[in-house]
Amino acid sequence: MGRVSLRNVRKSFGTTDVIKGIDLEIEDGEFMVFVGPSGCGKSTMLRMIAGLESIDGGDLLIDGKRANDVRPADRGAAMVFQNYALYPHMTVAENMGFALKMAGVGRAARDEQVRRAADVLRIGDLLGRTPKELSGGQRQRVAIGRAIVRKPRVFLFDEPLSNLDAALRVDMRIELSRLHRELGTTMVYVTHDQVEAMTMGTRIAVFNRGNIEQLGAPLSLYNEPANEFVAGFLGAPRVNLVDVPGPEATPALRAFWSMLLPVVPAQARRAGVRAEHLRVVASGAGVPATVVMAEHLGDVSVLHLRVDGIADLLHAKVDASHAHLVAGASVGLVAGGSVLAFDGTGQRIER
Amino acid sequence: MSVAAITPAPVIGHGAAGARTVRWSAYLIVGIGALFMLAPFWFMFVFATHSRGEIFNLPPPLWFGSDLAHNFQLLTERLPFWRNLGWSIYVALMATALTLLFCSMAGYAFALMEFRFKKALFGIVMATMLLPSFMNMIPMFMIMDALGWIDQQRALYVPGAASAFGIFLMRQFASTAVPRELVEAARMDGCGEFDIYWRIVLPLMKPALGTLALITFITSWNNFINPLIVMRSLPNYTLPLALRSLQSTMNTEWGALMCGSAIATIPLIVLFAITSRQLIAGLTAGAVK
Repeated sequence: MGRVSLRNVRKSFGTTDVIKGIDLEIEDGEFMVFVGPSGCGKSTMLRMIAGLESIDGGDLLIDGKRANDVRPADRGAAMVFQNYALYPHMTVAENMGFALKMAGVGRAARDEQVRRAADVLRIGDLLGRTPKELSGGQRQRVAIGRAIVRKPRVFLFDEPLSNLDAALRVDMRIELSRLHRELGTTMVYVTHDQVEAMTMGTRIAVFNRGNIEQLGAPLSLYNEPANEFVAGFLGAPRVNLVDVPGPEATPALRAFWSMLLPVVPAQARRAGVRAEHLRVVASGAGVPATVVMAEHLGDVSVLHLRVDGIADLLHAKVDASHAHLVAGASVGLVAGGSVLAFDGTGQRIER
Repeated sequence: MSVAAITPAPVIGHGAAGARTVRWSAYLIVGIGALFMLAPFWFMFVFATHSRGEIFNLPPPLWFGSDLAHNFQLLTERLPFWRNLGWSIYVALMATALTLLFCSMAGYAFALMEFRFKKALFGIVMATMLLPSFMNMIPMFMIMDALGWIDQQRALYVPGAASAFGIFLMRQFASTAVPRELVEAARMDGCGEFDIYWRIVLPLMKPALGTLALITFITSWNNFINPLIVMRSLPNYTLPLALRSLQSTMNTEWGALMCGSAIATIPLIVLFAITSRQLIAGLTAGAVK
């Protein structure tokens, strides 16, 4: 079992409230991802579950038992740190078996469990080495192995992949998902990388300023964000937010907005169009726009466009047939597909 | 140490020959400096093998004589020499062990633990380094007297066991060599505070511990003032004090004294030869990342 319940959990550092009363049920076997910008409280929340930060208010329950004041080692949680935090003076095997040693497990049983965890992670041939003889990816495997050996009720990951290079990160992402399937253990995973959040999570909790802005399955968060913050946080490039035209609006902005009108309710104060829902057509058709920068990635091109009267650059993700476009080119913009509508307070308006 | 500052200046327009001249003259200056510094040691070893009369010849003897055995015999007659040597070793080892224990614990606490008044406490510890050590002489005597420790060896190794310098060195090292996450990982793995210190922090501080051990051992071994203040009887003296007792206005056996001094120096020379690399490495550790 590994069910974690947070009931109105609070935390302050001095006079700053970093966690402002969080309620969350993490189901047994779930892969829960905490995302959010730096300083949003996601890491602090994880560390509070781990027992590395005290809980100032509210209750933390692990499998129904209040764990606020339980020693970190006795909470049944194992943590994987961003910088691995392997003990440099111990071999890989000693690192992985250390928690068992501290728990008084005999040498033979320890070796057996270390061996089994090493097999799962395919690091059996590294057991005799010390951490400084390992590559970054290997170190991260050992750190995960150290967590597995303890047979925890819940795994806690604190941005575990952010020190790895891009290719390795993709591999480890797949690896961690596989591990979650095989072990079936509850995992709580903190990241600021939305790709990791979208691809790995059963559910995502989007943190902002010590609160959870929205909780849900990855695609529902992407397609039906509760508010502008969530819409802006998930999706790369960022969602294009366009204000309703006022009395002094430019013709281009009016034209852009009228293009959205069929799908945007009248009370909307702002509309959000995802980059993949903007199409580029020949200059003369659509809303006139100028290419400020073009990023041709091979399979797709990301265009950053200026529309007269819209303060922010608009981003469009278009197919590779537009690879000839360069900065300065004049094009026409057409919005198609779904459009998000927000009210004056930034909340999304359901259609 | 000061010789390290003399490095050949870059020479412009003189070619290889000019550069070589500068280099060799630098070596010459360094060599002369080294000679001056080594001379007292040389004379100590040489005089240890001569009788008192020969030592005061003009010019003094520059090479080894034949009176070593005689000098040594004199030394052991005048002093409980082996006993004094034993006390020196005992005091130095105890001082080293206690200093390592207390300074590493305090250094770890100041580097990685959070507690109230941490900054103020560390400031007070550091402030004690500002006081000239001679200011400490009379209070130290009074405290030792009050404790009833006069003429006891513990008066030599206990007071220095938590030295400000040692705490500072350990704190600086711990704050670079022991990442906070490591302590947290250990806590997650079931370590209590002492286990974290003993199993994680201490092994990682080994380089700094080696440096501090060496410095403490040498300081204790050479310490003259503190034994002079608190030790009363010759059989309880450490070596520097015992050797000093050989000196008198009229009748100093210089040969025996030099013989004793030479014997007292040898352990340090051997120790330094083995560990100098470590000593210097430890002192500059963390200076450059």
